Amino acid sequence: MSSPGNSSTIDPTAAAALQDALAAEHAALWVYSLILAFLPAAQLDRARADEEAHRVLRGAIEQTLTQIGTRPVSAQPAYATPKPVTDGASAAAVAVVAETDALAAWRSVVERTTDRGLRQAALTALTEGTLRCAQWRAVVNTPPAIPTFPGRP
Amino acid sequence: MLLAPPALAGCSFGSSTKDPGPDPLIALAAAARADAALAAAVVAATPELADRLTPLRTARTDHATALDAEVARLAPGATPAPAPGTATPAGTPVTAAAVQAAVLASGKAASAAALTLPAERVGLVASVAACCATYAAVLA
Repeated sequence: MSSPGNSSTIDPTAAAALQDALAAEHAALWVYSLILAFLPAAQLDRARADEEAHRVLRGAIEQTLTQIGTRPVSAQPAYATPKPVTDGASAAAVAVVAETDALAAWRSVVERTTDRGLRQAALTALTEGTLRCAQWRAVVNTPPAIPTFPGRP
Repeated sequence: MLLAPPALAGCSFGSSTKDPGPDPLIALAAAARADAALAAAVVAATPELADRLTPLRTARTDHATALDAEVARLAPGATPAPAPGTATPAGTPVTAAAVQAAVLASGKAASAAALTLPAERVGLVASVAACCATYAAVLA
């Protein structure tokens, strides 16, 4: 197998899109670690599964960026939530925000790469993220639960 | 690894030597209309399914509108798409399971198209694919 630098068609535009997605994944992980303390017990398993999904995506992006010789962006020490998280409802609402931001980032990766493998991976992330987003939108009762155009700006 | 640089680097996007054929978004728009019509037929036959299927019907109608607009953008003056109908393909059972199967197939078709579309068109189709796959997942 040739070196990643030779086999990859992930160009600087795609790498920048991946960095944006990584930043969104960092933020999502921070959000889930925050809201676990506020969510009702019945939603904890889902939140932990969602957190793990973001952890896997973060790792995959970091590995891909490293393979193409790009230094992955780091997480911020903390993030500002649009509204204070004080209870289960506000915790679920910020999960919706984090998932929505991640959907936008992944759709942007789809749009900013012609590398077929990366496009497929980003499409999978967009699809799986849409289900996560829908579940939290259902919790906060934001119809339609499933966004019609996931990731659309 | 999910995002590892693929062994598909030799694959190029599009080909100037090949007939591009009809706009692939035409078929995706038709599928969106068909899914919406099937969902409407199922709700008409089984009104208690309205809560489950009406959001899907609305989403697929909106998908058809957006896809039609994108088709028209690249081919202004082309034959306008048929208006949304209420007829469902003959032989399709009028059940929630049939709607699930239809939207699953539509999502797969959109996903496949998204792998080769140019950048300025792929976002819409990717969103349609993700939306369809998610409806298929929650209806399963």
